[in-house]
Amino acid sequence: MRSLLTVICLLCLVSVSEGAWTELLQKEFPKTPWAQRPRVERTVCIDCHDSDLMKPEYKAIPGEWRKNWHYRNGVSCQDCHGGDPKDAARSMTPQSGFLGVQKPKEIPEFCGKCHLGIKENYLESGHGKALMTTGRGPNCVLCHHSHDIQKASLEIINPKLCGICHTYDRAREMKAALLLTEAKINEINGNLQTLKAGLIDTQDEEETLFRTQAEYRTLFHSVDVNLVKARTAEFSKMLATLSQQVGKGFKELKFRQDFSTFILLIFVGLGIMVFLWGRRKE
Amino acid sequence: MPRLREWLEIRIGLDELVHSQLTDYRVAKNINFFYTLGIVALVAFVFQAFTGILLMFYYIPDEKDAFQSIQFIMNHVPYGWLFRLMHVMGANLMVAVVLLHMGSVFSLGSYKKPRELTWVVGALLLLTVLGFTLSGYLLPWSQLSFWATTVVTDIPSAFPLVGGLISKILRGSENVSGVTLNRFFALHVAFFPFLFSSLFALHVFLVRRIGISAPPSDSQEPEEWKEFHHESHPDGPPFYPDFVSKEAFMVIIYLIVMFAIISMAPALFIPHDAGIAADPLNTPEHIRPEWYFLAPYEMLKLIPNRFLGIALQVVLVVVFIFWPFMDKSEKTNILKRPLMLATFLVTIMVYLGLTVWGSR
Repeated sequence: MRSLLTVICLLCLVSVSEGAWTELLQKEFPKTPWAQRPRVERTVCIDCHDSDLMKPEYKAIPGEWRKNWHYRNGVSCQDCHGGDPKDAARSMTPQSGFLGVQKPKEIPEFCGKCHLGIKENYLESGHGKALMTTGRGPNCVLCHHSHDIQKASLEIINPKLCGICHTYDRAREMKAALLLTEAKINEINGNLQTLKAGLIDTQDEEETLFRTQAEYRTLFHSVDVNLVKARTAEFSKMLATLSQQVGKGFKELKFRQDFSTFILLIFVGLGIMVFLWGRRKE
Repeated sequence: MPRLREWLEIRIGLDELVHSQLTDYRVAKNINFFYTLGIVALVAFVFQAFTGILLMFYYIPDEKDAFQSIQFIMNHVPYGWLFRLMHVMGANLMVAVVLLHMGSVFSLGSYKKPRELTWVVGALLLLTVLGFTLSGYLLPWSQLSFWATTVVTDIPSAFPLVGGLISKILRGSENVSGVTLNRFFALHVAFFPFLFSSLFALHVFLVRRIGISAPPSDSQEPEEWKEFHHESHPDGPPFYPDFVSKEAFMVIIYLIVMFAIISMAPALFIPHDAGIAADPLNTPEHIRPEWYFLAPYEMLKLIPNRFLGIALQVVLVVVFIFWPFMDKSEKTNILKRPLMLATFLVTIMVYLGLTVWGSR
């Protein structure tokens, strides 16, 4: 709630001034992971699409959605499509802001409601320009799919998918430029999970990583190898700082393990002494 | 030191006290390690009180700050992590020790005449320990503690007429809230310690007044108890140092287990949801109580009627408390009572089975 208020306040404050309010919003948005939201299990949309009245192609949607990344992070039908998820009669009316299947050109705006930075980079890219001018360029759904959307990864950049429209050469170069940073992000993420399992507080580091990763991923969509290469150094620096903090966490974890093992050994020694004392008395 | 001893001797008769209560006090010849579990439970309580007081220096019993204060203890207070982990592990181990103690007393037949009252007080102590853990569980104000408490405080509402009222009294409001946190904190740090200490004092008084029982043996028939007398074992080893060394050894084993868990599996009793601040609007996917409540929790889920399920558990608790008055047999050796042995083993297996089932 506090984060939402912050976003609203930021919007109000910066909208009265000239300039880059979207940049501020983009920076604020990744601080509010959707993972904290409750998962939505039942809405009138889901009930109806699950029912036998639905056409087979629409009936599969709730099943796909339950396996997707949005569902796992509490994003439900109305977050993308609008409408009223509590009232069947109003659920798909224009008055309730319902948006159905989108035309290709409308898709960037549809997904960009939340993915602001990505939308901007995409629209400025060759992909975005092709879509907006000819109506035939790749849109979000082509790579990420719609209802069975999964967590984004570099695997999306592959010869099969890129080869639909063009050769893979530039995409390969792009992927290579992203690979090291992505690997570093994954490594830090794994380390943070290890620290968490050892009860070390990683909240700040997780938030920083989430923000860095989200910002970094907007770069994917620029489809600009030079820009990616130019900014890789900047991200590497940020990740190196984060790695240092993670290193401190590991140092603390090791100290805790060593210290408790030390006390454990003292008690083992005491136990042996008391046992021998008891035997001697007997 | 000798002067202090002399000072005490004049005032409280120290030598006589040491002789009568320690060196000249005899325990049964065949006494075993199971008889030390009572003192282990007492030491566990002392450790809980000590670590609990240290945690109270920094803990804030307020819904806005409780979770953050626990995080502060874990990450910023010097050795705060150690004392909190000792408190968490200690709570779980203490329940295990008391359960083992009750199980051993039951299987050794030590609850029989004239020790019915000792058993009743011991059973009440077990319930007090469970009250301790239940009230302490909410205090970190995490998702886990909030929702587990929501489920537990909802249980009494299954009873007609008074059920809703009991739930409301426990919570202090319609739902678990900051008021509930304050109530549970007060219960945890003031009411239960007082109750536990009082019951423990009574328990120890009864044990020493009647005398420590002897394990059942083939050669000795249990004596017929017609009038009060202290059960003594003149040919047995002295309480100090023989039995005290056994007790000290078991206390150290308890501490070894505690620190082995702290060093090797610190998150054993602190799962993922315990690291997320309580959010009344966000119900976690799987709400599960602590391991010792898993069996009754699973039982409630298996019985289709909620009232019947809870009523059955209340009946089982009452039977457990007053068992010595229901078991009229004079035989103490459970091995010579096949039906009792089978009932005991089946009960343990059902409890373990439901616990394993619930943990899946």
